[in-house]
Amino acid sequence: MKKMNITDFSIKWGFLIVMAVLFAAFSLLQPAFISAGNLFNILLSVCIFGTMALGETFVLITDGMDLSIGSTAALSVMLSAYFMVVLEFGGFVTILLVLGIGIVIGLFIGFLIVKVKIPDLLATLGMMFLVQGVQYIPSGGLSIGRGAIIKNGKEAMGYFSEGFKYLGQGRILKVIPVPVLIMVGVAIIVYVILSKTKFGRIFYAIGGNPEAARLVGVNVKKYKVIAYVSSSFIASLAGILLAARVGRGDVGSQGTLLMDAIGASLIGYAVLGARKPNPFGTIVGAIFIGMLMNGLTMLSMQYFWQDFIKGTVLVAALVFTFGISKKQGT
Amino acid sequence: MNKEPIIQVKNIGMSFGATRALDNVDFDFYPGELLAIVGANGAGKSTLIKIICGYHSGYEGKIFVDKKEVELNSPKDAYGFGIQTVHQIINQGVIQSMTVAENLALEEMLAPDQPVLYNYPAIRRRAVEIASLMDLDYLDMDVPVFSIPQSDRQMITIARALSSKPKLLILDEPTSSISENEAERLFSSLLKLRDRGVSIVYVSHRLHEITRLADRVGVLRDGKVAGELVKPFSVNNIVHAMVGEIDQQAVRKEDVKANKNKIKLELKNLVVQEGKPPINLRLYEGEVVGLTGLIGAGKSELAAVLFGIEKQISGEMYINGKLYEPANIKSAIKEGIFMVPEDRNNNAVFSDFNIRQNIDIPFLDMFSNNMSVLNVSRERKEARRMVEAMTVKCENEEAPIMSLSGGNQQKVIVARWLMTESNLVILDEPFQGVDVKSRSEIGQYLRDNIGTSTALVIATDLDEVVDISDRVIVFNQGVMVGEQEAGEIDKDQLIHLTSQTLEEIFS
Repeated sequence: MKKMNITDFSIKWGFLIVMAVLFAAFSLLQPAFISAGNLFNILLSVCIFGTMALGETFVLITDGMDLSIGSTAALSVMLSAYFMVVLEFGGFVTILLVLGIGIVIGLFIGFLIVKVKIPDLLATLGMMFLVQGVQYIPSGGLSIGRGAIIKNGKEAMGYFSEGFKYLGQGRILKVIPVPVLIMVGVAIIVYVILSKTKFGRIFYAIGGNPEAARLVGVNVKKYKVIAYVSSSFIASLAGILLAARVGRGDVGSQGTLLMDAIGASLIGYAVLGARKPNPFGTIVGAIFIGMLMNGLTMLSMQYFWQDFIKGTVLVAALVFTFGISKKQGT
Repeated sequence: MNKEPIIQVKNIGMSFGATRALDNVDFDFYPGELLAIVGANGAGKSTLIKIICGYHSGYEGKIFVDKKEVELNSPKDAYGFGIQTVHQIINQGVIQSMTVAENLALEEMLAPDQPVLYNYPAIRRRAVEIASLMDLDYLDMDVPVFSIPQSDRQMITIARALSSKPKLLILDEPTSSISENEAERLFSSLLKLRDRGVSIVYVSHRLHEITRLADRVGVLRDGKVAGELVKPFSVNNIVHAMVGEIDQQAVRKEDVKANKNKIKLELKNLVVQEGKPPINLRLYEGEVVGLTGLIGAGKSELAAVLFGIEKQISGEMYINGKLYEPANIKSAIKEGIFMVPEDRNNNAVFSDFNIRQNIDIPFLDMFSNNMSVLNVSRERKEARRMVEAMTVKCENEEAPIMSLSGGNQQKVIVARWLMTESNLVILDEPFQGVDVKSRSEIGQYLRDNIGTSTALVIATDLDEVVDISDRVIVFNQGVMVGEQEAGEIDKDQLIHLTSQTLEEIFS
C-alpha cells in the first residue's frame, strides 16, 4: 500500500483546506458573510465568468487556450440588446441567434487553428480583437438601451423581454438566482461529458499525447474544433446571462471576464491535486475568487486591490500545482 | 599516430523515465581518427552524442578530456573543451532569417566582447575566412539562409563547427539531406581534417559511407556497446554487430500455426514509395511474419500504407479476399487492421492515463452506452483480463502507466491492440527499450493468441524477428529482397540480404 506523506496530502487537499480556513475566517470576522443572501451574492458574482471558465476547460484539456471568450461574451451582450431593442426580435429568437453566432465564432477559430495552422494563442488573440471590435459596429459604438438613438437617428423602441431578463435576474423560490442555477447546470453537463463519456476520455487523450491519439484512430482536428466551438458557445451563453442581468447592451462589457475565467480554470488545476483542467476544479476556482473578493470587500478592502489579489491567488495556485507536484514521479 | 585518447567516456548510462537509453558505454576518441558510431533506431546513438556535446546533464559515468575528468553540463562546457557538434536537424543549427555571413560567423557575432555597435563588414570578413574552410566560396554571403538549399545550410553548420579548431568534431547523420556530390566534398574535407589531427565522430546509418571513411566503428545496440571494429571491415561485419548474433540453436522449428489455405492479407503490385518496384506479398491466417531491413529499407512506408496513414502510389491490398482501401487510420481500425507504433513514449503512451485507460482508448465505443457514457466496471474487467494475460507487473489495472517499467508499458500498449479481434496487427519495432524478459513474454503471448488474425512484426534487429516469426521477410532500399521460413533461417544469408546493395544482391 502507498502511504500518503505530507506533500501528497497537501497537493490533494491543500487548496480546499485553504479555502475552508478562509471561509471560516471571513465568517468569524464578519458574521454577515455567511448569511444565505450573501452566499448567493457570491455565487451570483461568479456565475458569468464561472460559466465561461467551464467552456474554457474544454480548450485547456486539449492543450489549447482560448483568449477570445471575453470578447465573445461581450459581443453576445451587445447582440442580445441589438436584436431585442433595435430589431425588436423576441427573447427566444434572440437567444437562438446569439448562441448560433457563438457557434460560428468557435467554428471560425477552429478553422484558423486546424486548417490555417495558426498557433492557438495567436489565433484566439487575433479573434479576441476582432470579436471585440464587432460588438461596436451594429450600434455605431454606442450602448443600447430602450430609447437609445441608433445610427439612422431613429429611437430604438424594442425592449428586453421579461422571459429573457428572468435568465439574469430571476430567483427560484425567491432565493436561488436563475443564472447560478444555469451555471450549476452547465457545470453538471460539462462534468458528465468530460468525466463520464468517451468524448471526455478522447479530449484528455488529445491533450496528453496528440500523436498517440491520432494513431489510435482519433480525428484530432475534429475534436479540437469541437473544443473551440464548445468554448465559444458557452461564452455566448454567459453573455446572454450578463445581458439579461443588466437589461441593456453596454459596450465594453468584457471587462475582466477573460482573466477571471481563465484564472478560475487554472486555479482548478490545484483542486484535489488534479494537475490538469477539470470542471469541478474550475467551479471551485471560480467560487474561490468570488468568495475572496466578497469577504475582503466586507472587511473593507478597497476595490483597487482586487486585480492584484486575484493575480496573486492565480500565481500561487500555479506554483502549487507545477512547482510542488512536478517533483512527484515522471 | 598519437595513441593517447583526447577524450574518453566511461560507464556512460542514461535513463528516460522507465526507458534505459544507454547502459555502461565506453568509448575512447583518438586524435587523427575517424570513429563511426552505428546502431539501429533507438540503439542510443543520439543519446550518446547529446551527452558528449553537453545536452544531457543528468548522465551517469565519467568523461575525461586529456585524461582529466570533466563534467559536461551544458553545450557551453563542451565547446570549452573543444567539442563541436553538427546536429542532424539542419535547421536547428542555422538562424534562417540571418544572412549566410552572419550564420557562418555566428559565434563571433554573439561573442560578449563584440563592440556594441554591430560591425557587419567585420563579421562578413570573418565569415569569408570560415567559408574557405569548407570551400564554400561560391556562397552568396549576404542572402538570408532561408533562401538557400538545405545542403548549403548543412555546409554552413559544418564550416562553423570547424572554425573554432575543435579537438573533437561530432557529425550526426551529416549526409541525410545533402546530395552525393556535396557528400563527396564533405568526405574529402573530413579526411583532411582527420589528417590534421582532429578526432572525428561520425554517426550515420549509411554503412557504405562508413566502410570508406572510418578508421574504427563502434556499434551500439539496445543502449550497449555491441562491438568495436577496426579496419578493415565490411558492411557485413558491421551489420552483424548491429542486428545481433543469431543463435542458430534457438531458432524455432515447430509450432508454426499459419493456415496456408487462408490468405489474410494480399498485396498486389503495391507501390508505396515513388520509383520502387511493386510489392507482391501474401500473409496467411494465424501467421506471425517478421519484416526486417535497415533504416530506409521501406518497412515503415509499408506499415504506414497498411494502417491508412498514407495512400499507396499504386496497386491493391486485399483483406480476406476483399479489396481494402483505408481512407484514414480510423477506417483501418474498423477493418481490423491495428498497429503498435514505433517509439512508445511519443506515439503510444498516454502518460496521464492509467493502465485501463491506455488499453481501451481505441475501443471506447465497446464500453459506452448509446449516450456515450462509459461503463467503467466493464472497462476494468477487460483491462484486468489483459493485464493478467500479459503478466503486466503492476498493483492493478488502475495504476498510472508511468509507474511501470518500459517493458511493462510496452505490454500495455500491445495489450491495447490484442484485446479485441483483428485481421492484422502490425508491430513496428515493438521491442525497442524493452527488457529481454518482457520481450519474450510479449512474443509468446502474441504467438499463443494470434488466433485467426495475422501479425506483422517489423524490426531492424534480426534476433527480434527471428525469435518470434514463422517467416522472415527482408526489405532493402524499398525492395523485397528475400524471405525465409522459420525452419530454414540462415543468418548469414539474412545479413547479406539486409546489408548489401541491391546491385550486389541481384548480381
